[in-house]
Amino acid sequence: MKKINRKEFLHQISLLTGGMGMGLSNFDAKAYTSTPLAFTQNLAAGNVLVIIQMSGGNDGLNTVIPAEDDLYFSARPTISIKKEVALPVENGMYLHPSMTGLKKLFDDDKVSIVQNVGYANPNRSHFRATDIWNSASDSGTIWDDGWAGRYLSQIYPEFPIKLPKHPMAIQLGSVESLLFQSHRGGFATVFDDPNLFYQLVNGSVADNDLPPATLAGEELAFLKQIASASLQYSTIIKDTANKGKNIQSYPNTSLSKQLSIVAKLISGGLETPIYLANIGGFDTHANQINSHANLLKTLSDAITNFQIDIQNLGLADRVCVMTYSEFGRRVNQNGTAGTDHGTAAPMIFVGNSVKSGLIGSNPNLKVLDSSGDLKYQFDFRQTYTTVLRDHLGATNSSAASLFTGNFERLPIFKSSPDSISDAGSIDLANPWPNPASISTFIQYTVHQSQEVFLAIYDLSGKLINVLVHEIKVKGEYNVSIDVSGWNKGHYIVTLLGSSGKRMTKNLMIN
Amino acid sequence: MPEFSSQNIKHLLNRTLFGFSKEDYFMASAEGSISSLVKKLLQDKSIPEAPNSWVSTTPAQIQQDNGSASTWYKEFTIWWNQLMFKESLSIREKMVLFLHNHFSNERDKVNYPQYMYQQNQLLRKFALGNFKQLAKEICTDPSMLIYLDGNNSRGPQPNENFARELFELFTLGIGNYSETDIKQAAKAVSGWQVKGLESVFDSTRWYKETTLTIFGKTAQFTVNSLIDLVFEQKATAEFICRKLYKEFVYYKPNEAFVQEMATVFKVNNFELKPLLEFLLTSEEFYKASYQGSKIKNPQELIIGTCKLLELPKPDANNWYEMAIILQMQLFNPPNVAGWPGQRNWISSTTYSFRGGFTDSLINGKRYNGAAVTGKLDTLPYIRTFLNAEKVDLLVEDYFFYAFPIPLSKTRKDQLLQTILSGTIVSNWTTYIAMADTRVNSFLKALMRLPEFQLC
Repeated sequence: MKKINRKEFLHQISLLTGGMGMGLSNFDAKAYTSTPLAFTQNLAAGNVLVIIQMSGGNDGLNTVIPAEDDLYFSARPTISIKKEVALPVENGMYLHPSMTGLKKLFDDDKVSIVQNVGYANPNRSHFRATDIWNSASDSGTIWDDGWAGRYLSQIYPEFPIKLPKHPMAIQLGSVESLLFQSHRGGFATVFDDPNLFYQLVNGSVADNDLPPATLAGEELAFLKQIASASLQYSTIIKDTANKGKNIQSYPNTSLSKQLSIVAKLISGGLETPIYLANIGGFDTHANQINSHANLLKTLSDAITNFQIDIQNLGLADRVCVMTYSEFGRRVNQNGTAGTDHGTAAPMIFVGNSVKSGLIGSNPNLKVLDSSGDLKYQFDFRQTYTTVLRDHLGATNSSAASLFTGNFERLPIFKSSPDSISDAGSIDLANPWPNPASISTFIQYTVHQSQEVFLAIYDLSGKLINVLVHEIKVKGEYNVSIDVSGWNKGHYIVTLLGSSGKRMTKNLMIN
Repeated sequence: MPEFSSQNIKHLLNRTLFGFSKEDYFMASAEGSISSLVKKLLQDKSIPEAPNSWVSTTPAQIQQDNGSASTWYKEFTIWWNQLMFKESLSIREKMVLFLHNHFSNERDKVNYPQYMYQQNQLLRKFALGNFKQLAKEICTDPSMLIYLDGNNSRGPQPNENFARELFELFTLGIGNYSETDIKQAAKAVSGWQVKGLESVFDSTRWYKETTLTIFGKTAQFTVNSLIDLVFEQKATAEFICRKLYKEFVYYKPNEAFVQEMATVFKVNNFELKPLLEFLLTSEEFYKASYQGSKIKNPQELIIGTCKLLELPKPDANNWYEMAIILQMQLFNPPNVAGWPGQRNWISSTTYSFRGGFTDSLINGKRYNGAAVTGKLDTLPYIRTFLNAEKVDLLVEDYFFYAFPIPLSKTRKDQLLQTILSGTIVSNWTTYIAMADTRVNSFLKALMRLPEFQLC
């Protein structure tokens, strides 16, 4: 990120305080535009994350291919993909030839690929590795809830006592993933067909009976929770699906069908923030050439049609697709023209809001671990942290609390910190409580010493209160403000740093 | 010895059978003691006849192209379902399913049912037999060779798939072996190929080293000596016993008891029958807290509900299609780890489909309108109950057979209201107007209760 000098910094403060609607090019004029519309355009408001799980362990090296690296060809004499047929992206890396759709999206600046994603002490069991990716635990720690489940627990603190109007998470399929489990129960509504789902739930009734305090009672409580969530959500899911639409026609594959339903539900107005879709079959131990090509084609075609669809529906700014798989595969091919279980692999992010390009260095095929597998460059929780903060709008502390600490963000989104070293020279958390009526806390973090300016504006852009304007050393700061005399309504908290970074959060007074 | 109470008998039947009918329950009660009922359940039975002659035809591409393979798979699945439905007082088919889930193979990859049939009969042969011998035979079972890529795996550059799952899922459990052990074991199990319906060993495809080192022991390992070594590891007996405990008792294992089971298993040289006898006659198994704590798997729900309703000729096509929808198509587990079970059976969609299934047995049609044959003939059925004409006693009797745990007073009252639907207890007979409709509503509502998903 470009540094600004003190004069520019002061100029920007003056613009913030008085220069409404001047539209200075340095600023994207979000925090202080006067229309309430600013809220719906705010970073997180209504943003949707669509996760695609590629089950079985996707062969990353044949997905995003180092087709200019001789070591790649010597490790894989019969299953490598030649540079001549592969689809160039950048920096000597190529996409698998069957991913023409994704290549087009890449060229249209809608694809970010994070290379070499993994974690320390990688596990090569499908099941344990899948659990690690879903729970976001360290390799040696077993967590029985999912990172999305923990995040949704923060967003919906009253669950399961009270269910919000719209489903909190949707999984296309039949068996609820660990991803959405929490200690308060599973957050996902799971189905494959909205209308059929509605039809099936009919005939069941909810009840308020307390289950007995026995082991059977625990299972009964679980069943009752599923039953009441199904009753609660089957109607709105059916209604939004019927109200929503697909403009694009999708190929006839299961993944495409899943994504077409997601597009329909979003376009119908469903406010669910996280969706999970699945494509299986990536465990390519033998004769992988054709089967892997078909899988990648299915994946690429599904994502491409989905992206076109939501673009045509006018929803693309709000939606990001993220892929993951439990591991990549061994660098060397095995004796049956396939690949065994490996470690680090690329993750793909697609959407209008991503910063297109490759992140990280190309896979290092020279320095492998003792099993002959890739060493990871980025921890997978860095990608989760980035998505949570820069797409779903989670605060620094809220994201950190989901994992074993603070994971540095990656420049996946246009709104992400520019470079890895630059990550978050300042950060602003959501005010708490929010809405507030008497007082509220504002927490901000300074990563490098700099002059900071923290202030609150109303929706017309009028400066209400300057909270901080001084040089701050690296650290986390809390400001408490008394709002008891304030008018009810929306306010905007703005943090500006002399490093050039500006962040805003909404504050509601009631 | 645990008490031979009605509650304990019911619990034992719930866990060892795919549901039970009144008749099954009476037969079980006549055994007189837990030990003799357990002996009855563990009796050896002859191996059933093949579903059809296709089981011995040589696999050929044409069988895929003309749809025979898939027709046969369906016939084979229904054949097994019928064995479950007609199992009477025998644990065998439950154990075959346990072993199928343990040595999990998928029909998508093993696309000729001939192989899967061979494996299924192998599992049946060892259902109450020697687990270690079964482990040896499964290593060269054609279906397994195909499924985990042992087929054509050559010693110098072996495919690790089978060796990894052998350790992780079939014997030792995760954390009890190293990556090097896997690489070495992959060599030991190499050299096998599937030819026709057989598996054959070709020593030229085997490893060239004179010895391998696995778990610190150096030898020229073969499949047999590798399995011997694996069963010498402490983790193996515990791993199998833990899995049996989770299937038959409770999904969160009591580790102290698992250790006791492992000791019994080892002392008996990995024979399953004495181990199961120990388990099913233990005080642990009958603890009140475990009763009703299992969520029925789809096969238990599908077959068990047909037994409860005593349907003489239920629609096997309905079984087949609903099992797919409820996520437990036989021969098609989700992956090599098998079905994880318990809460994983239930999501908002499968829970709802379960209600759709039980409704269909009463309605004679499915949620999508498809006809379901062999539906309940309501009044003759309900009149087989001793208390059919005394509705307050009738519903109590029914609750006993249908639910593993007592219902709350509110629930009971609701269901009594449902069957009465406007009339009063003293006016009830099975001959009043709309008696069949009343009973049907009662049964549908009862089977849609979350308690009905427990066993």
